[in-house]
Amino acid sequence: MAKVSLIIPTFNRPHLLPRAVESAHGAGEGVEVIVVDDGSVDETARVCRTLPGIRYVRLDRNQGVAGARNVGLLESTGDYVAFLDDDDLRLPDSLARQVALLESAPEAGLVASAVLLADENCVPNGEVAAPRAKSGDVFWQVLELNLFLLPDSVLVRKSCFFEVGLFNRRLAGIDDWDMWARIAELRPFVIDERPVSIYRSPSPTSGQGSSHLARHLHAAFKHQARLLKLPRAQAAPEQRRRAVRAGLRRRVSDTLSWRAAEQLPRGHVHFATSNFLTALRISPLWAARPTHLRVFWKNSAAQLRRWRGRPEAPDAG
Amino acid sequence: MARVSVIIATRNRCALLPRAVESARHAGAEVEIVVVDDASDDGTREVCEAWLDVRYIRARRRLGPGGARNVGIVAGTSEYVSFLDDDDVRLPGSLDAQVGLLEARPDSGMVYGRVLYGDEECRPGDGFYPERCPQGDIFRELLSWNFIPCPSVVFRRSCLRRVGLLDEEAFGLEDWDLWVRIAELYPVLAVEEAVAVWRRPSPESGQFTSRPERMHRVARRLHAEKWLRLPRPAALGGGERRRLNAAFAERAAGQLVAEIAERFKAGRPRDSVRVARALFGMYPVRASRKVAAVAVRWWLKTARQVSRTNEPGGGKAVP
Repeated sequence: MAKVSLIIPTFNRPHLLPRAVESAHGAGEGVEVIVVDDGSVDETARVCRTLPGIRYVRLDRNQGVAGARNVGLLESTGDYVAFLDDDDLRLPDSLARQVALLESAPEAGLVASAVLLADENCVPNGEVAAPRAKSGDVFWQVLELNLFLLPDSVLVRKSCFFEVGLFNRRLAGIDDWDMWARIAELRPFVIDERPVSIYRSPSPTSGQGSSHLARHLHAAFKHQARLLKLPRAQAAPEQRRRAVRAGLRRRVSDTLSWRAAEQLPRGHVHFATSNFLTALRISPLWAARPTHLRVFWKNSAAQLRRWRGRPEAPDAG
Repeated sequence: MARVSVIIATRNRCALLPRAVESARHAGAEVEIVVVDDASDDGTREVCEAWLDVRYIRARRRLGPGGARNVGIVAGTSEYVSFLDDDDVRLPGSLDAQVGLLEARPDSGMVYGRVLYGDEECRPGDGFYPERCPQGDIFRELLSWNFIPCPSVVFRRSCLRRVGLLDEEAFGLEDWDLWVRIAELYPVLAVEEAVAVWRRPSPESGQFTSRPERMHRVARRLHAEKWLRLPRPAALGGGERRRLNAAFAERAAGQLVAEIAERFKAGRPRDSVRVARALFGMYPVRASRKVAAVAVRWWLKTARQVSRTNEPGGGKAVP
């Protein structure tokens, strides 16, 4: 098996990190595990000294997750690179399988696989999020945020970073999407619908970076305009670009509004308001769909029943 | 394995590149040359692929100088890193001397040196830069102005593991930003000899950067929003921070005044007005003070002349 570097950026999560590192070692033989400590101010350094078989890099100045990934790339020696967030897990032998897939497609830039969604304690809840596409050119899908890609679920050929550059530190939270889009512009992807990792889904209270859903989706919507200036998008007909723009507008607004309707009855007022306001800003039409009202209604009813102490009715959906 | 990576970021300058690469070959005994081709559309690729000792990396999309250098850093494997612009020249043996210095002082982070101003063909003239080469903890001095010429630096790759890579946010000043971050944590060494030649006409020849005020705006933003928030300056008291701010503003305003004067002398009044407006926008107090000083000097001079012409000797009498 060719050499794989697995980069784990971490910040102030010493309690979760050992689990992630252990899963990384189980993901393939001879994996180079690089833990990049993004200037943690707790006992992360001490915990990392006790972890066997890792390369520990400590940034003394916080660089943000994109900067930490870049330093991980600087340290890596493998031909293939994978990323793992410090609160997620890699499934056993998942890297070996992805490497085999990438080796069988020398033109491809990366392998995208599925993930198992999990709750706050990393226990899978049975849902699988998979990229739904055919292997090959997926540029337009990626631009429309229409392809499920996470840093946890991909294996990238390291030479791709030389072709398109490193992660952009200015794009906090969406730097990974920006990277996949730039790679997809030039290279086909291999799509693999089997899960490779367990993803701790963000919730409004979990304190993960990705719980700032509204901010990130809004940033993504704004950044798409810049991605549409990539040479390949520029060469495409105007209509195509407009369709992609409209598609993302719809998707972002719809998602945010739906999440707001879902979470408001549960008492996450701030989360719901910021989501809904952002949705309104991006597209008022798609923010105010009857479906969202229905979701809001259903969840409110469930909440009411819970307050009255009655057993919750089984979900209709 | 080579000990120094020389990273040459290049774009559409295949005619100049061979000279830079050739100079890098002779600059040290164990040199790894990494050429990052920033999506050139001339013959750069053909030129580079003919060299067997050069690591050629082709970016397929434009990354900008900072992004291209970052790619070069990641692609390189040596313990020490140095940058060279595609139109500049490293002097023979200079890398070895600087690496030797770094090895003698294991606590240091980087070493810089002087550069000579060269002409169009990179033949060194008489001018050199900088005048003084301070050493040791130069963090404070470096906060107020960048006296470190980019091609003269050799730094440890391991520094980047503590401070991070080049920051593309610092358009055009990526190098200064990196030196600041390194100097915050490490002592800096210097050699007094010239180590490189800048293909940059000296200030007297009447050519200069087209938009100095842009650079100054970026520097001002970096200084206030990034550098002063680094842990070391952030721990300083209010008075010390004010002094740092004042030193920075004084230096920047002085440089802008010099730029204005140069443009005015070169017969480009419109440019000088543009820079002057930027100067007043950024540093109104200092700008007014400097203008007042110039006005007073001019007034004194004329007053003296007038009083001389009014004297009986018709102004010819010299004391």
